[in-house]
Amino acid sequence: MNTLQTDNAPSLSVVLPPFVIGALAFFSLSLLIIFSGADILGPFYNGRLLAITHLAVLGWATMIVFGALYQLIPVVFETALFSEPLAKASTYLFTISTAFLAYSFWTDSFSTILIYASSLMFFSVALFVLNVLLSKKNGKKNIQSRFVTTAVIWLLLTALFGLLISINFTFPFLEKVHLDYLKIHAHLGLLGWFVLLIIGVSSTLIPMFLIAHQLNEKKLSGAFYLINFGLALLAIDWIIWNGSILVYFYWLLISAGIFLYLSFVREAYVKRLRRELDIGMKYTIISIIILLIPVALSLLILVQINFEYTLLMRITTLYGFSIIFGLITTIILGQTYKTLPFIIWLYKYKQLVGKVKTPMPKELYSEKIGRIQFYAYFLSMASLASALLFNKILLLEFGSYFLLLTAVLYNVNVFKIILHKIKTEGL
Amino acid sequence: MKSEEEIKNIEAAIDQLLYTVMDPEVELNIVDLGLIYSLVYDGENGVEIKMTLSTPACPLGDAIIANVKQTIHNKYPDFVVDVQLVFDPPWSATMISEQGKAKLGM
Repeated sequence: MNTLQTDNAPSLSVVLPPFVIGALAFFSLSLLIIFSGADILGPFYNGRLLAITHLAVLGWATMIVFGALYQLIPVVFETALFSEPLAKASTYLFTISTAFLAYSFWTDSFSTILIYASSLMFFSVALFVLNVLLSKKNGKKNIQSRFVTTAVIWLLLTALFGLLISINFTFPFLEKVHLDYLKIHAHLGLLGWFVLLIIGVSSTLIPMFLIAHQLNEKKLSGAFYLINFGLALLAIDWIIWNGSILVYFYWLLISAGIFLYLSFVREAYVKRLRRELDIGMKYTIISIIILLIPVALSLLILVQINFEYTLLMRITTLYGFSIIFGLITTIILGQTYKTLPFIIWLYKYKQLVGKVKTPMPKELYSEKIGRIQFYAYFLSMASLASALLFNKILLLEFGSYFLLLTAVLYNVNVFKIILHKIKTEGL
Repeated sequence: MKSEEEIKNIEAAIDQLLYTVMDPEVELNIVDLGLIYSLVYDGENGVEIKMTLSTPACPLGDAIIANVKQTIHNKYPDFVVDVQLVFDPPWSATMISEQGKAKLGM
């Protein structure tokens, strides 16, 4: 007799707060983008852009990942979360430190309060990582769980690098300029934490949602080694030589790994039994195709075909934007509709199934709002990407307001799901 | 103890009941989805069902099992329903009925 994954499901008080905080952070960052105006079109290392970036990757993306991961640990590891109090502590400390960090950047307080915000951030991340690793100890060891555990270790290294950079602002001790460390910090976070985590979780969820079986998991093993080795070598190279000729080789390793993952998803898509894609899966598949854009842009930045400095800066910002918004935000917008309604549905209706007629999980949110949000989001993405590339303030404003509309609609659906009142009919 | 014909009739009736139990994610009933491997009624008050899930990691597994038990209980309140979850053989698409395939758009 097998045990069920829902026997290990964590409490709602562990899973829900990250979804609420994440949704509000998404709304806040869309407002900050409007307030920033033309600053976004400047160099990527200005305080306002750094505040928005950190609010996006931490307050929005990582926070939702926390919630989703606490729910998915029983699915991916096939074991219970190690500690619920630890999860709650890391969620709240992480929230405080994100707000503190964003404020430090927004007010250009690099040499004063940033160090305290980064220290608190490192501590809260360490609590989260500890909880995941201790959960994994008794869990299933497969390729998906290896992706997740490796991703959280990269997250810890990202937070450590962030902390070292912030210490260096107050007590200079590092040899290189900040920008050299910033690119290592950014890649450890975007590639090591987000991309590896997305691969690990999506390679469990996508076949499950599309009902695709007998997939070639060797592609995932290949992706695991290629991306991890490529990233580790890239980081070491940047630390020691600040980018040798071998960087092209590491790019090739990482890109090959990403292509293997894309091939795995394509196989699941082709073999899927469920032909029609719902709104959540449309977002998910589009986000994974978008992964090709940062692969192409990173090569463009590496080769640098006589670009003017300002154009190179804009392409670099676009590169980060394509990962943070193109890949990460898109997949989160989609997977929220694939996880949150089920979490609430299980909580509200598990004891009622069979006794009364219950709604389906997808009836907990408005599909119509979801569809409008879908178009508003992609309109916003196209406008913002064009604004960054062509340096057009009008496109930036247009894209910012559509992003705000997306965030409002997303919040409406998220709160509609969370505040759902039990509806039943007699059988 | 019921006769062989009565046992078969009750098993068929329970099978029909299970058509009302949905997989909430796939939105297809568990019989057409091919999740029921066997259904045995012992002629008194015991029902043993061997079933699977479309994936061992299915987060909705115990909600589906609770639904199976409750649905049978609604019609046969005295029956003791033993649902055994098995993953050998693993579920595959070939187990979906023709009606199920049509509903999934396959």
